Amino acid sequence: MSRWSSAFALVLAALALAFPFMVNAYWLSVGVLAMFYAIVAASWALLAGYAGQFSFGHMAFVSLGAYTSGLLVMTFGVPIPLGMAAGVLMCAIVGSGIGFVCLRMRGPYLALFTVAFSEVLRIVIVSENEVTGGSGGLEVTPLFHGATDMPYHYLGLALLGGSLAIMQLLVTSRWGLFFRAIRENEDAAAAAGVKVVRFRILAFAITSSFAGLAGGFYGHYIGILTPDIGSVDQMGLVVAMAVIGGAESIIAAMIGALGLEFLVESLRSYGQWRLVLFGALLLLTMRFARNGLLALAWQWLAQLNFTSLARGRGRRALRGG
Amino acid sequence: MTDYLLIQAFNGLVIGIIYAVIAAGLTVIFSILKIVNFAHGEVYMMGGYFAYFAIALAGVPPLPAVLVAMALSFALSVLVERTLLTPLYSPTTERKGDYGILVTFGISIFLRALALIIYGPYPLRPPSFWPGVAVVGGLVMAWDRVFAGGAGIAMLIGLVWFMNRTSWGEALNAVSQSRESAAIVGINDQRFYMLAFGLGGALAGGAGALVGPIYSLSPSMGLLPDTQAFAIVILGGMGSVAGSILAGLMIGVLESMFVALFPDPSRSLTYAQAFSLLVLMLVLLIRPTGLFGRAHVAME
Amino acid sequence: MDALPLIEARDLTKRFGGILAVSNLNLAVQQGELVGLIGPNGSGKTTTINMLTGHLAPAAGHIFLRGRRADGHSPSEFAALRVGRTFQITQLFSRMSVLENMLVPGLARPHSHWTAATRTARRHLEFLGLAALETLRAKNLSGGQQKLLELGRALMLDPEILFLDEPFAGVNPFLRDQIIELVRKLHADGRTFVIVDHDIEALQRLVQRMVVMSRGEKIADGTVTEVREDQEVLRAYAGV
Repeated sequence: MSRWSSAFALVLAALALAFPFMVNAYWLSVGVLAMFYAIVAASWALLAGYAGQFSFGHMAFVSLGAYTSGLLVMTFGVPIPLGMAAGVLMCAIVGSGIGFVCLRMRGPYLALFTVAFSEVLRIVIVSENEVTGGSGGLEVTPLFHGATDMPYHYLGLALLGGSLAIMQLLVTSRWGLFFRAIRENEDAAAAAGVKVVRFRILAFAITSSFAGLAGGFYGHYIGILTPDIGSVDQMGLVVAMAVIGGAESIIAAMIGALGLEFLVESLRSYGQWRLVLFGALLLLTMRFARNGLLALAWQWLAQLNFTSLARGRGRRALRGG
Repeated sequence: MTDYLLIQAFNGLVIGIIYAVIAAGLTVIFSILKIVNFAHGEVYMMGGYFAYFAIALAGVPPLPAVLVAMALSFALSVLVERTLLTPLYSPTTERKGDYGILVTFGISIFLRALALIIYGPYPLRPPSFWPGVAVVGGLVMAWDRVFAGGAGIAMLIGLVWFMNRTSWGEALNAVSQSRESAAIVGINDQRFYMLAFGLGGALAGGAGALVGPIYSLSPSMGLLPDTQAFAIVILGGMGSVAGSILAGLMIGVLESMFVALFPDPSRSLTYAQAFSLLVLMLVLLIRPTGLFGRAHVAME
Repeated sequence: MDALPLIEARDLTKRFGGILAVSNLNLAVQQGELVGLIGPNGSGKTTTINMLTGHLAPAAGHIFLRGRRADGHSPSEFAALRVGRTFQITQLFSRMSVLENMLVPGLARPHSHWTAATRTARRHLEFLGLAALETLRAKNLSGGQQKLLELGRALMLDPEILFLDEPFAGVNPFLRDQIIELVRKLHADGRTFVIVDHDIEALQRLVQRMVVMSRGEKIADGTVTEVREDQEVLRAYAGV
């Protein structure tokens, strides 16, 4: 990383750590939710944008992780960290299963299958209301008992930071190369020796695990779980966040999620119109800035840098240097 | 008991005809634009509301309101196509398959959210086409359902006639089989994409208008048809209108029988929703090319 | 007595719906051979290659790689067994750079490392004349450069045998000569080649042995001169 980006990252980290002291309780809670969405959006970007597997079932894993942990904690008294870990494990297993059965499906068929899977899971949760609390919701023990959301903020930061670190490691490793190769051309990847089956399943297992982790965190933060967290509309929200940020970059997706969540909350007075705004923004981005708004901003910045650099060089040339 | 089952079968047939209309519309879109349209259910939903407001605000009688709904759905679809789908035809657009998935998914999210604001979350019920019930022997059937079934059949017949007997329809058929060859003989592509998308939407909207008096309208009523229509289209063979019709009827009847025979009545309705979803998942797992019809054409 | 063939097809058959694309094909390629595979359109050449590299499963018959059964292997398993191939229509990782295209197979090999793989990749790129284009996205290469890159990608597998599917298709004479030279050099290094193409002239300059297919069957198999004079071959080409 260059000097500028390291400095920038340090400033960001400092701001993130000082955040609870800079804002009121309402915005602190928005921040926690934003970090939840950031993990979900980033992991979806890893699966869909980076590995090319357009799954619309991602929220099902958030839901699965949340309910697994919630039910284990509430019914069997399992300590929360263990419950969350179980949620992650459950998602890894089911995610691998989905990845496996979807092996012969590509593109839109994968999307269709995963959205159907997501809806079936939601219907099961709603129907089996004796176990899950159904639409009425499941009360779940919160992680921290206190007046403030501050511990959630720092835990969220740690989870987000940790997730980002792992995902970045993945992306810069040879596995990242293989994921992209599969995305670009699955047949060529196979001919090049990439074990496509293994990596497609891995992509699902890994990203579903992150979704499950986020789900567990969400459940034990909010304190009450409803099947809506696994709804198609929630998926749409996450897709919008990732695409508007930039679906092929994990960091861009994360920033998209953080930015949009804060934007949505600041427009709270407009009620349901903000969802329409989200959808419209998604469509506009898809239509006119396919690589996401961050990539667009980066392009503008690059052009600005370039012109000022050129001006600088020109002046030096005139001086005869 | 048999009376109950017969009624359920009849209801299943009616709903199957509705499914067939929706699926036929989707087949037209799919075979010509070659995209999986995630927003089809939302046009169905809009059609229902168009009819409702045509009746409530413009005083249009219930029967013609269906035609109004179809026309407005056609217009809505063309608007969507012109503003958002044109990149699919441009050679400079990369990864068209991904674009199609994301854009139509986005449209579905957008339309649903818009409907929630404009129409509100509470179900609305348009007035009946034909109030009252028909009594045949021991069976009691709502006239609305009979009408819906009949109108649906009329729409399907209209579609088949259009595709096979008019020059526009035959051109559509040509484009669906080979864009390049159709272009060579002078069939102008872009207008046909508009027509196909509009026609598909009109059918979906018409189905929504028919269903309103029976099941009432809500902004999320298109969610299930979004995926369900695909189960039917794939089951029926992807490019085959006849196949979708048959598959639609099959699913409708089977679903009703499922509800009738499911051992736990408190869960039967919610799980019935999962029925077609499970069918979709199964079909995608086993035979993505469906029961009849042409083998799948790749997206790009 | 013949040594164990490097790759062998026995009674290989493939059907697509009602069409018999390849019918009871028997073909053995020894180590170090340079074989040309020709035939009119639809004769089953590409289907044969697809079966011999794992992209299609045969309907009947067997494939032996160094004496061991290999039908049923996936393409990545064939690649791991050092069977390389290029495609009729170039299949690259379009949005990845030239170097990354080379690194995918390089790092897919077991016990491979980034530095060693990068070094090997650069060596091959140098050999192919693509070294200066290392950072360019594959989709920004010219058609000819893309063909060479695909060859390079196959080379990263350190293949014992290479199947080239229409390497000369739509290629200008200069590039064609370049490809012939490259293949000659690689062959001299000990690699075995099976080349499918319609450019019989180019193949005749290159190969020692010519196999001819027509309508899914092998109708001739011998030296270039033998095949050139074979009546059945002439009839097959004329008849189509």
